[in-house]
Amino acid sequence: MTAQRTPILLVEDDDHDVFFLRRALLKARPDLSLHVVTDGEQALDYLDGRRNYADRTMYPLPSLMFLDLKLPYFNGFQILEHLRGIPALAEMPVFVLTSSSEDRDRNRAIALGAKAYLVKPPTAEMLLQVLESSAKGASDTG
Amino acid sequence: VENSDDAIITKNLDGIITTWNKGAQRIFGYTAAEAVGKPVMILIPEDRQHEEPAILTRVRSGDRVDHYETVRRRKDGTLLDVSLTISPVRDQRGEIVGASKIARDITELRRAREALQESHHELEKRVMDRTSSLREAIAQMEEFSYSVSHDLRAPVRAMQGYAKAVLEDYGEQIGEDGRNYLARIVRSGERMDRLVRDILTYSRVARAELTFRPIALNMLVEDIINQYPEMHPPRARIMVDQRLGTVSAHEASLGQAISNLLNNAVKFVASDVTPEVRVYSEERGEWIRLWVEDNGIGIRPDHQARLFGLFQRVHPDKKYEGTGIGLAVVRKSIERMGGRVGMESKGAGSKFWIELKRAL
Repeated sequence: MTAQRTPILLVEDDDHDVFFLRRALLKARPDLSLHVVTDGEQALDYLDGRRNYADRTMYPLPSLMFLDLKLPYFNGFQILEHLRGIPALAEMPVFVLTSSSEDRDRNRAIALGAKAYLVKPPTAEMLLQVLESSAKGASDTG
Repeated sequence: VENSDDAIITKNLDGIITTWNKGAQRIFGYTAAEAVGKPVMILIPEDRQHEEPAILTRVRSGDRVDHYETVRRRKDGTLLDVSLTISPVRDQRGEIVGASKIARDITELRRAREALQESHHELEKRVMDRTSSLREAIAQMEEFSYSVSHDLRAPVRAMQGYAKAVLEDYGEQIGEDGRNYLARIVRSGERMDRLVRDILTYSRVARAELTFRPIALNMLVEDIINQYPEMHPPRARIMVDQRLGTVSAHEASLGQAISNLLNNAVKFVASDVTPEVRVYSEERGEWIRLWVEDNGIGIRPDHQARLFGLFQRVHPDKKYEGTGIGLAVVRKSIERMGGRVGMESKGAGSKFWIELKRAL
């Protein structure tokens, strides 16, 4: 059995935005794999390893996460709040990726523990920069 | 005593009426002949008869009863609200032999009081209703602009994104014209996005909850200039006077207004001219007027009146990118803070000003 590469989790309900992030990531780091969930409930299920995502071999804990704010069922803020209660994920960097450039949203996201607040659209340069900064900050997970 | 509007009655310690004036006749309906010699109980409704012994006890011990509000009964059986003042009556030796009672008809007063209270409650209720519907309207407005910022911009961003992707991935194959068209899609998308963002700024300024505090203008202007590379040499030169003063303002709204003025000042300049902007202020009584003076292309007098209106562009030239919202934001934010805005332009260069109350 091959070891599952730790993926990047993208929580995004707009398939255009999924396309643009995939495209930017492919240019920046073609070696990284991306798993996409399209609403807040799926995101919580994945992070908690429940229901469809109970199999951690298939769905390993992500090494980092890109998170939209406006999502069906649970919004990005609620997901950030939920993450604070999971010790295993406390170290996982979360990058909010949103169309909102409102200070109110930015401040709230950072206060809830987001590592960075990125305004769409994502570019390859933007991704390289945040991936580098998170690699510097994180301990070596192999 | 005889002609007083109030009823003035005396009674002995057994509670028997001994004198009775015209006022008493008017208020209670009994003539003096009918009342004198009768127990005072004839004036007291059944459910209040316990009051009389208590009053007599107080009178016997020499105490006064002041402005005691109660209910009494007229000859015809109808009830009226009265205010009673009762004092002991003494004989020549100083012995208490009875009581004098002044009764004032306060039926009208009580009605007026109740009406006042009722309208007070009514008013309170109305204020509460209005406040809650206002809150609801504000919440809806916030929800609306949140949706605008997310939902309205998303398709524009997607169009731009795909046009850019085609340019990058297939630009070589589609030739000069094709690339040019795609670039136009991208530029139009950028313009649409800027419009949406500016409208959002306008609505934010228009509905922001204003909290006032003293704002040092020098510090604020400096902070703004530091945010914009286009306001620094070699692209522009902004000279700021040392003592701009301190105004009472809502910081975010004022910051938005000044930043729009400075952005305009460095933007609307002939292409071969380096923008030079001077920021200074003058005290005008309790007001401070902040001036932003530029060396730009100026504004024709016949355009100046509509300059601060929404969607007004007086330089539709492609060279000068604008949405026609910036100065409307300036006016909205300053006027909401109780201030004024204005401008002067004679040929070359413009001088814009905003005026706010000096901080005490």
